[in-house]
Amino acid sequence: MKNNLKVERAIKNITQEELAKLIGVTRQAINSIELNKYVPSTILALKLSRYFNKTVNEIFTLEESDN
Amino acid sequence: MKTKLLFPNQLKLIGWILLVPSTILGILMMFFNFKLMFLDTRVFGIISSEFPNPTSFFCFSKNNITDEIIGILFIIGAILVAFSKENHEDEYIAKIRLESLVWATYVSYFILILCILFVYGTGFFTVMVFNMFTILIFFIIRFHYILYKSNKSLSHEK
Repeated sequence: MKNNLKVERAIKNITQEELAKLIGVTRQAINSIELNKYVPSTILALKLSRYFNKTVNEIFTLEESDN
Repeated sequence: MKTKLLFPNQLKLIGWILLVPSTILGILMMFFNFKLMFLDTRVFGIISSEFPNPTSFFCFSKNNITDEIIGILFIIGAILVAFSKENHEDEYIAKIRLESLVWATYVSYFILILCILFVYGTGFFTVMVFNMFTILIFFIIRFHYILYKSNKSLSHEK
């Protein structure tokens, strides 16, 4: 699974730390999602989608390797 | 991992306070026969088999309880350190926690298999004593190492 969290964050001009605080997770969680090391739970994905005002599909997309 | 199974964060400090001295005393006890004489006392045993006496059940006997006390303090301390919530517990930390627990179980039993194959006689008794504590020890080391590593990888990310 890929994500464009880093891009979305850049658009909103918000740091990992600030985003983590707003969403209620650790900065490590945001960081490892951006590095594609961690797949967030549906709840966390929905919270991110709510914050960026975009659908989950616009932030997270499936890749070949997920099939 | 359900966070309701974890202890509150404040207990982690108490865990370290119990764990560090009991580890030091435990090592002194294993390798230098450390013993506190005033802890010689009468104990109640469900099973008591002290060589050369025959095994007896449900009876009182004399014992030095230094090892019992250190062992129990170590386990309580290690459990609190291992399973207290982090300052900011979230699903990512829960994932690291679960992975570390699986990892620690594998490593601990892998070492035990090696010891079963290659350690014989009374040496194996020493192995068993250490093996009682290895899962917790390996878990604590692995969990905190991964936390430290993911903290470090933050420093060059904005």
